[in-house]
Amino acid sequence: MKSRNKKIKRGSTGLLYKRTVGDVIFDIINYTFFALFTLCCFFPFYYLFINTISDNELVRTGQILWIPRGIHFKNYISLLNVNSLGTSVLVSVGRTVIGTALMVAATGFIGYLVTKHEMFGRKFIYRFLIVTMYFNAGLIPWYLNMSMLGLTNNFLGYIIPGIVAPYNIILVKTYIESIPAELEESAAIDGAGYWVRFTKIVWPLSKPILATIAIFGAVGHWNSFTDSMILMSGKPELYTLQYRLYIYLTSTSNLSKLMNSGGNVSKAIIESTLNMRTVKLTVAMVTILPILLVYPFMQRYFTKGIMMGAVKG
Amino acid sequence: MTKTKVNRNSVSKYMIALRVFIIFAVVFTLIPALNPARMSEVINRNDAFVTMVLSRAKLYKEFSRFVKKSVISQGTINLLYFASLLILLCIIALAAGWCMSLGTKRLQKLGLKIIIISSFLGALLLTLLLPVYSEFSTASDKRIKPMFPIGFVVFLCLFIITAVLAIVTMIKMPKLTEEDKYGMEPKYKLFLMVLPFVILCFVFSYLPLWGWRYAFFEYKPGIPLSMDKFVGLKWFKFLFRNQATRSDIVRVMKNTLAMSALGIGTSFLPMAFAIFLNEIRSNKYKKVIQTVTTIPNFISWVLVYSFAFALFSTDGFLNTILIKMGVLEQGKNFLMSGEHIWLKMWLWGTWKGLGWSAIIYIAGITGIDQELYEAATVDGANRFQRMWHITVPGLMPTFTVLLLLSIANILSNGMDQYFVFKNSVNKDTIEVLDLYVYTLGIGTGGAGNIPLATLVGMLKSIISIVLLMGANRISKAFRGESII
Repeated sequence: MKSRNKKIKRGSTGLLYKRTVGDVIFDIINYTFFALFTLCCFFPFYYLFINTISDNELVRTGQILWIPRGIHFKNYISLLNVNSLGTSVLVSVGRTVIGTALMVAATGFIGYLVTKHEMFGRKFIYRFLIVTMYFNAGLIPWYLNMSMLGLTNNFLGYIIPGIVAPYNIILVKTYIESIPAELEESAAIDGAGYWVRFTKIVWPLSKPILATIAIFGAVGHWNSFTDSMILMSGKPELYTLQYRLYIYLTSTSNLSKLMNSGGNVSKAIIESTLNMRTVKLTVAMVTILPILLVYPFMQRYFTKGIMMGAVKG
Repeated sequence: MTKTKVNRNSVSKYMIALRVFIIFAVVFTLIPALNPARMSEVINRNDAFVTMVLSRAKLYKEFSRFVKKSVISQGTINLLYFASLLILLCIIALAAGWCMSLGTKRLQKLGLKIIIISSFLGALLLTLLLPVYSEFSTASDKRIKPMFPIGFVVFLCLFIITAVLAIVTMIKMPKLTEEDKYGMEPKYKLFLMVLPFVILCFVFSYLPLWGWRYAFFEYKPGIPLSMDKFVGLKWFKFLFRNQATRSDIVRVMKNTLAMSALGIGTSFLPMAFAIFLNEIRSNKYKKVIQTVTTIPNFISWVLVYSFAFALFSTDGFLNTILIKMGVLEQGKNFLMSGEHIWLKMWLWGTWKGLGWSAIIYIAGITGIDQELYEAATVDGANRFQRMWHITVPGLMPTFTVLLLLSIANILSNGMDQYFVFKNSVNKDTIEVLDLYVYTLGIGTGGAGNIPLATLVGMLKSIISIVLLMGANRISKAFRGESII
């Protein structure tokens, strides 16, 4: 697709079409605009990063603007002393891994089942699941419902509500419908039941779309913080990393409150090498890191995902 | 359901009634008002039967002070808990029998047996709760507030009904023959496979609708939410008559609509982004742009705020530069300013979402027939003419759908972005409807007025769904295709 595209372009612009002055001016403006916007998107990441690895004294006096100086990684090491950060990392990683795995397994299975026309009440069930994308009862009834079900101040409150994801069901269903039915039929003739056909044939064939929804799900889990704030208010040890970061960012209390007084690093040393702003930025950097690390892998999947969603509209 | 089929697979009307009653029994375990084991007001009134059984520690804690003072014995609480647990298991067994009743005759018969046994067992276990009630009502400490739950009667009746219906169905069933085997038709098999997920979806997406009833009950701050006093439309009237609330709503609606309007008014930007990006000939450059501009979409609003903090707070990037240039004498926290909040929020939203929203159009452009461009070039169309007359019309259908959807979502800006950027200075201009509902209902520093917050959220949901259906109808009328 891409190579054909390129060839035609070269033909149309190079041979048939002469570039005018207007074209050149347009190109310059166009290239510059995109360069600027791309820089705008990139710079905050870069600025945050250089601020966490540069010499803290230089950072404090505002001398780190464009290039890092006095590079060190003490800030990252000293995070080990920040109160309750460890549990938050565990909670965030835990909900991302468990929540995503369950969501993908369940959504894959539901997506498969709703392609089966012989199912009793299939149309109604499919609508019943999908309609939830478009309406919700509102935040307060949702919260009261969660509390009635005993899912507040409970780790499961992060996991269970996200298992059935309507948008992802649409994606999976659309994908599975595109798999040739003969593949499954041959297995059915051999006497394989639905479960075997799903696990042995459909699941392996749907890996691209499952990867896509896994990425969407994992990013969603990793990034969510309002559910932490609303549901876990009585149990700070269940706060996610994002919410923890929010608390740090908005807290005006002094550094010592953020740090453990115990440990083998004495308070004085911590205070001399760190300032509160650096701590906040370092925590932010740690929170971004997983996203940046998986980003190269997910890039090729999400375009596919968003296109498939667009087919449905 | 043709006539010929009826003979082989017919289910008696008793069986259908039986299924309906079992569904009732299952659903009732989720309704707090019908908790059959709530023999004392000490047990939380907002806990359904299932919740009560699942949170054992909570139940024991609620009664611990009475046990300590020997007002009641530990044995009573144990009895209460374990009888409830077993009753719940009986109801689960009923549900299992319900599933089996979808199978072949042999499986149905097994299901009926299970239903009969568990119904009798359930009724028996319920009567075990009576001694608990009598001990509560004779307890010396009046704070235990004994009560006889209506759910007790309801569940007792349900168990008796299911037992009777199952027995009748069983008697009316024809004798099994050798060729009758355990099994189930594929259509029911598939149905039962998807059923758990349908229930999950119901519990988390439909059951909250039941919470709308809170909008019709009295509420006093500081006292746990109760269903004691039905006040009808009191909160509706309050919403429109109370001066303070009314002005709040007007302010919040202004913010919501203004920020949505900014978003909708500039919704052509992603399309423009994609079209202009397509004009860049270097594929490598294109790839870099696309990669970098998409990243912000994948970070949370908290992280966006941390960028804002790094760049614009008192010690931030902008301050340092301005001080160096001599524009500012002293650092100034730009985040603590109430000016141009709508615009700033729109800018952050665009920064985060532009590259991502453009992807769908970029993909759309590759779907446009390249021969159109060639033909246009041969006909002498210049670059802009080709963009305007080929690319834009090619992307228009996608644009229209997204525009209609965003109009339907005009009231739902979400709360994450506004929540993280909110502070004491800008709170008047940043508060959108979603954030207002949160603050009003459960947020810290809010009024904690649950009925009013429920009501506002409810009105929002209703208006949104009407808008969505309107948008869908417009789409059907003009494009012949629905958007949902």
